[in-house]
Amino acid sequence: MPSPSRLSPDQVASRLRARFGDDVSEVTEQHGHAVATVARERYHDVCRFVRDEPEFACDYADFTTGVDLGDDGGFEVLTHVFSTSHHHNVRVKVVVPHDDAVLPTVSDLWPTCDWHERETAEMFGIRFEGHPMPVKLLLSEPFEGHPLRKDFSLMTREAKPWPGAVEGEEDEEE
Amino acid sequence: MGLITEKTGLPRIQPVKFILNWGRRYSLWVMNFGLACCAIEFIAASTAKNDFIRLGVIPTAHGPRQADLLVVAGTLTDKMAPALKRVYEQMPEPKYVISFGSCSNCGGPYWDSYSVTKGVDQIVPIDVYVPGCPPRPEALLHGIIELQRKIKDEDIQEKFGAVTQPAVS
Repeated sequence: MPSPSRLSPDQVASRLRARFGDDVSEVTEQHGHAVATVARERYHDVCRFVRDEPEFACDYADFTTGVDLGDDGGFEVLTHVFSTSHHHNVRVKVVVPHDDAVLPTVSDLWPTCDWHERETAEMFGIRFEGHPMPVKLLLSEPFEGHPLRKDFSLMTREAKPWPGAVEGEEDEEE
Repeated sequence: MGLITEKTGLPRIQPVKFILNWGRRYSLWVMNFGLACCAIEFIAASTAKNDFIRLGVIPTAHGPRQADLLVVAGTLTDKMAPALKRVYEQMPEPKYVISFGSCSNCGGPYWDSYSVTKGVDQIVPIDVYVPGCPPRPEALLHGIIELQRKIKDEDIQEKFGAVTQPAVS
């Protein structure tokens, strides 16, 4: 095993830029982790790169998840990976539009992502192409809709509005 | 039978009903259908400090087929609901169900969730509801006493009269 040589977020940025150029649109730092926003077409390539490149060696996939950015913001899909030899964290982030939410699967690189992608698929309606078992993970089979989407309506809330403070209104009360 | 009626001074008590219901209510083999944090309170109620064994509730039945009492403790999701239905159907009559905690009573803090069943009474009939989030073990003891009061007053004819005899071939 190589001796640990942790890459700083800046080093991650320069190495990804050198390899993928403008397809890596942004690399930021969050809590000491590098967050790389990449083009959808290169998502799988970037994931393969951070797994196989000896300097990265990100052999442990922590999670894959999604974020609905609301009106016309599309979905963010994040895959968080960690290197057990170098001890650095990298998040690969892709933004896909609402009406064309398709991404290649990375479960062929990290088997962990299999279930995480199934959950992301059922919660947001994002399709992962090439997934070995594209069925629901947590929801019951007859469930319709994608509950973590912003436009998903909760039937109970239709009958009874949320009794507490609504996001954005807390400041006005003070 | 007439002796009991005379000596107890309670002529309106039907002795068979009294004896049978007395036996049934102090020998409740319980099955813990533990789904969330309420299951921990159930366990606390079964151990030394609160000790529902002194009320005749015996933890735990070897399975639903040996149980008299089902305690649904926790958050029932729509995906888990068929399993609860199946466990209930496996229990032999007479059987009783206690709904323990806000989640199983009505959904509780998950009242607007997309996946939680709002009230276990949609799936199985409930005899006693114990409120709280989670309820203290004492609340379960009170619920058990209420259930025992209910069993005490049950009419034998009503409860067992409708049982059809197996056809003799």
